[in-house]
Amino acid sequence: MRDVRVGGTTVRGTPARSIVAPGDLAEAAAVLGDAASRGDAVAFLGGGTELGLGYAPSRVDVLVKTAHLCRVVEYAPADMVVEVEAGITLAAMQRALAPHRQRLALDAPYPELATIGGLVATNAFGPRRLRFGTFRDLIVGVSMIRADGERVRGGGKVVKNVAGFDLPKLAVGSLGTLGMIATATFRLHPVPEVARAIRVGACGADGLVALTRATIANRLEPAAFVATRDAASGTYEAHVLFEGFDAGVAEQIARFATIAEAQGLTSESLGDGERPGALDEAARTHGDVRVRISVPPGDFVAFERDALAPLANVLGDARAIVYPPLGIAFVSGYATGVPATIAALQGARRAVEALHGNLVLTDVRDPALGDAVDPYGTVPPSFFLMQRLKERFDPARRLNPGRFLGGL
Amino acid sequence: MKTLPIPDRDVAIFRELAGVVGPGRTIVDLAELRTYECDGLAGVRVRPLAVVLPETTEEVAGVVRVAAAHGIPIVPRGSGTGLSGGALPVPGCLLVVLSRMTRILAIDLENQRMRVQPGVINLDVTRAIAADGYYYAPDPSSQSVCSIGGNIAENSGGAHCLKYGFTVNHVVAATVVLADGRVVTVGESASDPLGYDLIAAVVGSEGLVGIVTEAVVRILRVPELTRTFFATFPSTDEAGACVSEIVAAGIVPAAVEMMDTLAIEAIVKATGVDWPLDVGAALLMDVDGTRAEVEHTAGAAVEIARAAGAIEVRTPKSDAERALMWKGRKGAFAAMGRISPNYYVQDGVIPRSQISTVLREIAAVTASEGLRVANVFHAGDGNLHPLVLYDARVPGEEHRAETVAGKILQICIRYGGSITGEHGVGVDKAVYMGELFGDADLETMNFVRCTFDPERTFNPGKVFPTPRLCGDVPGAYAPHAVEATGVGRG
Ligand SMILES: Cc1cc2nc3c(=O)[nH]c(=O)nc-3n(C[C@H](O)[C@H](O)[C@H](O)COP(=O)(O)OP(=O)(O)OC[C@H]3O[C@@H](n4cnc5c(N)ncnc54)[C@H](O)[C@@H]3O)c2cc1C
Repeated sequence: MRDVRVGGTTVRGTPARSIVAPGDLAEAAAVLGDAASRGDAVAFLGGGTELGLGYAPSRVDVLVKTAHLCRVVEYAPADMVVEVEAGITLAAMQRALAPHRQRLALDAPYPELATIGGLVATNAFGPRRLRFGTFRDLIVGVSMIRADGERVRGGGKVVKNVAGFDLPKLAVGSLGTLGMIATATFRLHPVPEVARAIRVGACGADGLVALTRATIANRLEPAAFVATRDAASGTYEAHVLFEGFDAGVAEQIARFATIAEAQGLTSESLGDGERPGALDEAARTHGDVRVRISVPPGDFVAFERDALAPLANVLGDARAIVYPPLGIAFVSGYATGVPATIAALQGARRAVEALHGNLVLTDVRDPALGDAVDPYGTVPPSFFLMQRLKERFDPARRLNPGRFLGGL
Repeated sequence: MKTLPIPDRDVAIFRELAGVVGPGRTIVDLAELRTYECDGLAGVRVRPLAVVLPETTEEVAGVVRVAAAHGIPIVPRGSGTGLSGGALPVPGCLLVVLSRMTRILAIDLENQRMRVQPGVINLDVTRAIAADGYYYAPDPSSQSVCSIGGNIAENSGGAHCLKYGFTVNHVVAATVVLADGRVVTVGESASDPLGYDLIAAVVGSEGLVGIVTEAVVRILRVPELTRTFFATFPSTDEAGACVSEIVAAGIVPAAVEMMDTLAIEAIVKATGVDWPLDVGAALLMDVDGTRAEVEHTAGAAVEIARAAGAIEVRTPKSDAERALMWKGRKGAFAAMGRISPNYYVQDGVIPRSQISTVLREIAAVTASEGLRVANVFHAGDGNLHPLVLYDARVPGEEHRAETVAGKILQICIRYGGSITGEHGVGVDKAVYMGELFGDADLETMNFVRCTFDPERTFNPGKVFPTPRLCGDVPGAYAPHAVEATGVGRG
C-alpha cells in the first residue's frame, strides 16, 4: 500500500489530511476499517474528473485513491457480463471488452481518465443514454466497502435478478456517501457493425423540437440525438447517431435526412460515429462554470427561452449541448463578473424548477459563486428518506460528510 | 351456527376501518376472507384479521394509521397473482387490497409518461395508449390480470425485458404511504431525480417499504416492425446453442423464449397451437426495431437457427398467427394443468451460456426424486422457469416436488446465478437468501427496509431469512451545516 501525503489535494476545496492508495480490495477494506476505528472522515478519488460536484465536505481525513484497484475481476463474453474494480478507467475497461466486440454502452466524457467507481458514484452518462439508458439500466451487481469497513455485495452477475434490495442502483449516483464502490458488474452490449452520424441544421429551439418529434413519430431509433448551440446566433445544430447493422443504419440515415429536408433543414452525413460523444465532451468540459439541467422534454421551447438562452447569454464563450428527446442540457462557459453570473444561475434555476426540472452545478471554479448558488437547488419531498438512508449506512457520517444533496 | 365472540380490540379496529373506507369495503366475514388467504403460491394459506379495499391514497393512509395505532402488521395485495407468497397474509394482519384503485390518472404522450393507480392491470396501461402507437414495455405472462402495484413490488419482468428492461427501468415516480401514514413521492416524473435512487428501493421491495398508491410509468413508442419466428430443435442443447450464437452475432432480440418437450405438449393441449410434439425444444423469438434493421437481424437469426440444427423454422403469416404463438407461450403455466394435477413454478437465473448444462442437471435431480419437470423460460437472459410436476394426492409427492424446487435453486446459485429473476423472494425463498448472500449483505439490504419501515409493519417475515430488527441508529448523527440551516438556497 502506498501511503502518499500530497500537499494541496482538496475535495471541493476541503484539503485532504492524508491520501491512501490501497493495492487491493482487502487493503481498501482495512483502510476503511481503520478510519472507522479512529473516527476519520473518508472521501474517494478516482480519475478526479468530477470533483466539482456537490458541497465541500466538512472534513477529509483520509482520501482513498482507487488508482491501483483496476483489475477486470471477471469477464464472461458469452454471458455479456463483466465485473471490474472501481479504479479501472472506462477506456481501459472498453479495451478489455473490444476483442469480443462488446462494450459498456455508456459514453461519459473523459473515458481515459474517469474511473468506473467515479462514474457510477456520479451517475455519469453521455449521448448514448437515449438508447441504452444510464448506469442504473446497465449495472447488475455491486460490491461495496461500508463505512465500518465491512465488504458487502448486492445484485449479482446475471442480467436478471430480483433477489433482495437493489444495492447496485443505490450505489449509482450516491457520490461516495453510502460506501466505497469496490467493484461493479455490468451487462454489456455488442459493438455495432456500423455507427454513423448525421448533422442537421441550423434551426431554432422550436425547429429542434419539431425535428425531435418527427424522429419519434417516424419510429426512428437513434442511439444518440444531441444538439449544439451556436452562441452568436442562438441556433442549434443537431447531431444524430445511428448504430446497428449496415443496412439498418443506411436506411435510418436516409429517412432522417428526408425528415430534416421536409422541415427545410439541410443535413450532412458524417462518417465518424463518435461525433456526438466528442461534441458532448467538448461542451461539458469547457469553461469555469458548468451546469447540468434536466427538464421534461415536452417543455423544451419554454426551457430554452426562459433558462438556457438567458444563462448562455451571460456566460463568456458559452457552450451548450442539449439532448432534446430526454430534456437534458449541459451549459458551460466563463463567469463574467460574480453578481451577473449569480443572477443568471439563480434565474435559470428558478425557470427550470418552475418546469419541475432541476439544475445542478457540476463545476464552479470561483468560490464566491459556489458559496452564493446552491449546487443542487430545492431538495425533493423524499429528502427525509434520503437522510434516514444515509443514517443507516453511515451513522457517524464519516463518508464524504456533507458533500451530497442537502448536505447528506 | 355458533360463532365465537369477536374480541373487543378487533371490534374497535373494524369500526375504525369502516370509518376510513366507508361501508362494504372492509371484509371480516370468515367465509369471505377465504378468497384472500393465499396468492399465486397456492398451498400456503393464512387468514388475515381483516381485508380492506381502499380507493384513494387518503384512505390507504387512514387505514395504515389504524393499523399503526393498534400495532398490527399490514400486507399489501394487488391482484394476488404473485408466485412467492408476497401477498400471503401474516397472522393477524390487515390485508390492504389495492384492486379497486384502477384509475388511469393522466396520459402524457409528449413526455412519454402515464400516471396510474396501483390496481390498474398491466395490460390496461398499454390498452389505454395502443391507439396512439405507444405501449408499456414490461409484459409478465400474467399481464392480463396482474396489477401495476404488484409489478412494482416484485420488479416484474416478462419476455421482452431482454431488450427493454424490467419494471424498475420503466417506473419514474411513485407515491408511497409509509407505516406512520405519511404520504411521500419518490422519484421524479418530469426529469432526473436528485439524490439517492429511492425508486430502486421501492421497486422490487416486495411490499416491505410501504404501499404504493400511485405511479408514473414510462411509455414507449411501438417499434416500427416486429418479426417473430418459432424454431424447433432436437433438444435443448441445440436450442441453447442457438440462443448463444444469436447473441454472439451482435443481435439483441426483443425476446427469446425456450420451451422443452413437456412444455410444448402442455401448451398444445391447452391452447390448440399446432406445434409439433416430437421435438426436444422450441424457441419463440421476437426482433423489433426499424424496418431494414429488423429485416436484416431476423434473416440473420433464422440462418443462425438453421445452422444451429433447427428442425423447422416457422414465421407467422399474419398478426393473428403471431398473437397465437405468443398466447401459447404466455399461457404456458396454466397449461401445465393438462399434463399434471399439480405443478410448482420455480424461478431461477443462471448465466445464459450455462443453459444446456443446467437443464441437464435439473432433469437429473428431478428424475432422482421420481418426478418430471417441464421447462418454459426466458432463455435470452438465463431466467429459468422449471415447472416441477407432481400429484398432491400421492403421499410424499408434494414434499418431493419442494425438495426438487429447492435443489434447483442450489444449482442456480452454484452456477453463479440467482434464486429469483422476477417472481420475488417472498416467503417461499427467504431461506435461500442466506445461501445467496452473506450476513453483512443482508444486513445492508435491511438498512434500506429500515429506512422506510423501521417498525417492520409491512410484510413482516418476508424476504429476509431470519427476523431482522432495525434497531436504533448507533452513534450520534450530527447534521451537516447545510442540513442544519435548511437547504436549497436557490
Ligand atoms: C400464470 C402466471 C404467470 C406469471 N408470469 C410472470 C412473468 O412472466 N413475469 C413476472 O415477473 N411475473 C410473473 N408472474 C408473477 C406475478 O404475476 C407478478 O409477480 C405480478 O407482478 C404480481 O402482481 P399482483 O398484482 O398479482 O400482485 P400480488 O400478488 O397481489 O402482490 C405481489 C407483491 O406485491 C405487493 N404489493 C402489491 N401491490 C402493492 C402496492 N400497491 N404497494 C406495495 N406493495 C404491493 C404484495 O405485498 C406482494 O408482496 C406470473 C404469475 C402467474 C400466476
